[in-house]
Amino acid sequence: MDNNAVWLIILLPVLGFLIQGLAGPSLQKRIGKKALGVLAVLPIAISFVLGLMLTQGLASQEHAEAVIVTGGSWINIMGLNIPFEWVVDPLSMTMVLIITGVGALIHLYSTAYMAEDKDFSRFFAYLNLFVAAMLVLVLGNNLPLLFIGWEGVGLCSYLLIGFWYTDTTNTKAANKAFIVNRVGDWSLMLGLFLIVVVISGANVPVEDNRYLSYDAMLPALTTALKANPAMATAIALLLFGGAAGKSAQFPLYVWLPDAMAGPTPVSALIHAATMVTSGVVLLNRMNIVFQLSPTASAVVCAVGAFTALFAAIIAFGQTDIKKVLAYSTVSQLGFMFIACGAGAYWAGMFHVTTHAFFKALLFLGAGAVIHAMSHEQDMRYYGKLGKYLPITFVTMMIGTLAIAGVPGLSGFYSKEAILGSAIANSHAGQLSAISGWVGLGVAALTAMYMGRLAMLTFLGKEERWRKLPVAEHHDHEDGHDDDHSHALTGDHKPKEVPVAMWLPLVVLALLSAGAGYILNQGKRFEHWLYPSGLSQLGELKHEVPNLEIYSYIAAGLGLVAGVLVYIGGLPAKEGLDETKWARWRRSAANQFGFDALLTNLFAEGGRDVAIGTSAFLEDQVIDGAVEGSASGTRNFGGWLQQIQTGAVRLYAMLMLLGGVGFVGYFLFVVNRGGK
Amino acid sequence: MSGVPLAAYLALGLFMFMTGVVGVVIRRSPIVIFMCIELMLNAVNLTFLAFARYQFSPMVAGNSFKEGQSAMAGQMMVIFVMAVAAAEVAVGLGIIMAIFRLRDNIDIDEMNLLKG
Repeated sequence: MDNNAVWLIILLPVLGFLIQGLAGPSLQKRIGKKALGVLAVLPIAISFVLGLMLTQGLASQEHAEAVIVTGGSWINIMGLNIPFEWVVDPLSMTMVLIITGVGALIHLYSTAYMAEDKDFSRFFAYLNLFVAAMLVLVLGNNLPLLFIGWEGVGLCSYLLIGFWYTDTTNTKAANKAFIVNRVGDWSLMLGLFLIVVVISGANVPVEDNRYLSYDAMLPALTTALKANPAMATAIALLLFGGAAGKSAQFPLYVWLPDAMAGPTPVSALIHAATMVTSGVVLLNRMNIVFQLSPTASAVVCAVGAFTALFAAIIAFGQTDIKKVLAYSTVSQLGFMFIACGAGAYWAGMFHVTTHAFFKALLFLGAGAVIHAMSHEQDMRYYGKLGKYLPITFVTMMIGTLAIAGVPGLSGFYSKEAILGSAIANSHAGQLSAISGWVGLGVAALTAMYMGRLAMLTFLGKEERWRKLPVAEHHDHEDGHDDDHSHALTGDHKPKEVPVAMWLPLVVLALLSAGAGYILNQGKRFEHWLYPSGLSQLGELKHEVPNLEIYSYIAAGLGLVAGVLVYIGGLPAKEGLDETKWARWRRSAANQFGFDALLTNLFAEGGRDVAIGTSAFLEDQVIDGAVEGSASGTRNFGGWLQQIQTGAVRLYAMLMLLGGVGFVGYFLFVVNRGGK
Repeated sequence: MSGVPLAAYLALGLFMFMTGVVGVVIRRSPIVIFMCIELMLNAVNLTFLAFARYQFSPMVAGNSFKEGQSAMAGQMMVIFVMAVAAAEVAVGLGIIMAIFRLRDNIDIDEMNLLKG
């Protein structure tokens, strides 16, 4: 397989975007939504097949060598050459397969999920553009290209969260996502600039001046940073700041739960399977910097562990099925960063892979439930849905068990790899072991809140929406407004979703079940990503005595606890009346006030500073100067006005005196000059 | 003519000029003021002619005037002044007539439209 096919992989989604974006509405009239949907799925599916072929070519080699596909110059100034070039290596191809594979399934699912939406083609234009941007992010062979993709996915995320823009909450959520991401991007940019500074100071000659291309940059960076560990820590922390923004780590996680305002397939694609993993990809790509900085690695571990725990607890306070999954995503991303902090970058990618399968599955399943329940997202109105939605139920159960870490399913293997390497390795010092044990506790919590979700949604004794008033059916209004939350009525009959929606569920369920076992055989995934170990840390250990048993206990305890608490249906203490909730659950529901704190501190605080500045600088200083000069001129004029008496004879007199004075002065000067 | 010294001309000119100045400043009738202005102009004319006659030019030390030339210059200046004065009277009287038609009054102290 010719590696130039990588161009096609990227350009096909771009082509799809152009078709959908430019010709979408007219095509929709001519060939219908179904055909248009096929046109949206096809580019991604073909990209996936191409990716598969490239991967096969790569995997058939003994040691997978990175291949660089060059495509002309992009920026070439002052001895710095940044070409368009793509890298085909295990890391990029793993991500390509996840993005296009899961992406194609989600596209297929969306053709049914969005079938009633009037902005059908706009949705797929954004979705295709998103895939293209994500591919640029992972395939780009230099940091500027990564940055383009980085910003591209940020933009698409903004567009898709605010897809139903007529609702203000959606646009606000979109703005929040974009702005919080900008904070991370700022950090990432500073990291890039610092890298440029280090590279330019390193004085290592590079062929064609491709100083920022990974193959040239990473070795030079290694040499330079070995001599300067403090710089390594600085760069690593700045890069991690960027990763924390995109991958929703504390304290920048706040955008992700709000991002659930977008259509559910978007939540599945962007906010579970792909975009949020770009931080982990960045850490993998730049792992040498983190290898050289134990301090930064410890920070990564600690932040990851804290985020995992924090988000898992918050998940218990959520009643919106998508919000539970959103916090679960934040929590699982924390796991990935624990792995990266501990030096087990491959384990982070392993969890990215398995998480992409089961979290996409869970989100799509949640979407199916929401679709079947007239867009009601509150789990308190669900119950016993397994009877009505058998396929969704079974597939989602597999996803639930996979994320809970039940042995044999994919989540178990990646979580084991993470916890094992965190506890067994000392790269990040004591913190990595502590993070590992915290992670084990979080795994139990994960099993429990997922048990809660499954019990409340699919099982239990009563169909709780039956208690809602039986309202007369009013027609679906076009567009998705808040009205949908009231559309669920007591006489609602949930129906299983169409085949385009359950087929992706089944495929993802198979992957969620089997991928972990297959990829973990004989450390296959680790050797695929890092065939010769890490250049600085060497081979990693991930054997911890009895860890498997602890994991069984954690997953089992969590699931049993979740089932036991919710077996009798919705407890009164978690009912519709939120004032009866336990205090910890109420504060978990509003993120322990953290979001409000950020809002008060930065949004409101920023506005107060602006108002204060305006009051002082604008009203006092600037207006003072302007008005002062005006009134000064006016006063001076008023004073001068007094000599304008209008009396002709006085003017004549003054003219005379002036003339005499002038002549007198002139004569005086002449006389003096004559002396 | 040679019996009358230059100083006498200049004294007469000064007297006429001061009379004109005082008249302009203290009188309220524009006609009289006009007459006083004429008086001043004629005082200047007289001075020009006197200097021209005596060919005495202390203002231009080491003068570049040739004999006879400066006499003509002084007399030319007088002709100019008379022409300007005539034009001025024509315009000025016209203005005064217009004001009179407008306000039935030409008292100079009443004309203070320019008061600030």
